[in-house]
Amino acid sequence: MMVKDWRKHILPFLPPPVQSILTALEPAAVCRVEEIRLRAGQPLILETNEGEIFLGPEGLVADPGPAYRVTREDLHQILLQMTEFSLYARDEELKRGYLALPGGHRAGFAGRVVLEQGQVKLLRDLNSINLRLAREVKGAALGLLPHVYCREKKRVRHTLIVSAPQAGKTTMLRDLARLLSDGDERSGRPGFKVGIVDERSELAGCYQGKPQLDVGMRTDVLDGCPKAEGMMMLVRSMSPQVVVTDELGRPEDVQAVEEVVNTGASVLTTAHAYNVRELIRRPSLAYLLENGLFERVIILSRRQGPGTIEMTYAGTSLAEWLQTEEGNVC
Amino acid sequence: MFVKCIGALCILSASMWWSNLQIAKLKARVQQLEAFRLGLRLLAAEVGYTATPLPRALGQVAKQTEAEGVSAFFHVVSHNLQEEKFSDAAAAWLAAVETMRGRLQLEAKDWMVLSRAAAGLGGLGRDDQLKQLAATEALLAAHAAEAAANFTGSEKMWRYLGVLSGMAVVILLL
Repeated sequence: MMVKDWRKHILPFLPPPVQSILTALEPAAVCRVEEIRLRAGQPLILETNEGEIFLGPEGLVADPGPAYRVTREDLHQILLQMTEFSLYARDEELKRGYLALPGGHRAGFAGRVVLEQGQVKLLRDLNSINLRLAREVKGAALGLLPHVYCREKKRVRHTLIVSAPQAGKTTMLRDLARLLSDGDERSGRPGFKVGIVDERSELAGCYQGKPQLDVGMRTDVLDGCPKAEGMMMLVRSMSPQVVVTDELGRPEDVQAVEEVVNTGASVLTTAHAYNVRELIRRPSLAYLLENGLFERVIILSRRQGPGTIEMTYAGTSLAEWLQTEEGNVC
Repeated sequence: MFVKCIGALCILSASMWWSNLQIAKLKARVQQLEAFRLGLRLLAAEVGYTATPLPRALGQVAKQTEAEGVSAFFHVVSHNLQEEKFSDAAAAWLAAVETMRGRLQLEAKDWMVLSRAAAGLGGLGRDDQLKQLAATEALLAAHAAEAAANFTGSEKMWRYLGVLSGMAVVILLL
């Protein structure tokens, strides 16, 4: 697994006390960090793949007591640094509760929401920031590839990757996009034209329009665009062979998937759920499965680390989806 | 007699130079207020159309503003933000106000308007930021109109005053 040192991208945004604490962090701990949690008046916490770490001015501490206490001013300064002192420049992202950062990382925000005509207008009086560190794991999706790519027909199957949050869906989807885009001459897998609709800048980690993570050489990224609109824009303008998008859920997304499938492009996407049974409780997703729009559903978990493949399903009707466990891959 | 004539000419020249200086100051205030208005409109365009962050937006405005002192003002704010010496854009703007106060021909009330423009700078959503810039620009427009009227009304007075006061001194000395 390749984990880059995230500190060169993240530290410039942080206030000096937090900067010095994280600078002194030992390399082994740096590699394990998945999130940095900053909450006003609360201890500085690093979320790692092995649990929480509390950090104090002297480094790791066993309990929250001596840990560095994040102040409201720290949070305000971080937001100003991330927006280059210009909230208006990133207000569309802030309305959705996050900012994309260099290196493909993201900052999530919580605070007081200001509404205007029922819509989120602005987020102010921040009370917490979650720095989610992008983990580019090249090769993570190699195990998924035989389920997604049909070697005989040389085509990509319409595939839905399903898991609970933080089980590696996005990492897998990104790596699948890269593998399909680059192709592999040795195995005879051609490179596909891949179009990514990255509504929340999570897949390609675009910062100022440029992908920060490797999504392949034949990949076009539509960053910050609503999924449903973006999928149709890509189909019309970039003629992708594979359309990739994250976290399907809204009825308009489902309608767009149906349209993309009918244009002949393959669809790779993800959804939040623990299993197929839970998935079909969501009417819009159940519609896609019932009408045979997906050829494969892959269930991931964290059982043996993020991205563990629990099950792959194939089916053309709801009954089949509920009963069939895929045994024969293409 | 020749020396007296030279002396009288010198006194007249000095008094006319002084009056021209007063006229130039009045004219400069009008020009600088108009340049600030233009600068704020350019900044609003950067905010509204391209959502360019302040450090770069102000740099662009500095390049496009012709009046030297006003261009320098926007440049100073941009520089202050890039240097990250200030906690927010408002502090950087107010520091530029203090830096440039002695270098421009603006009056205290003009600086007051410019200082008020710092409130909320960079800390608002796009629509509110545009409204705030427009409000400042409107106030400066009123000041510019008042300064232009003042200039038109006072120009002749200062010219006459320069010549007449010079002549009065010459007559007194003769």
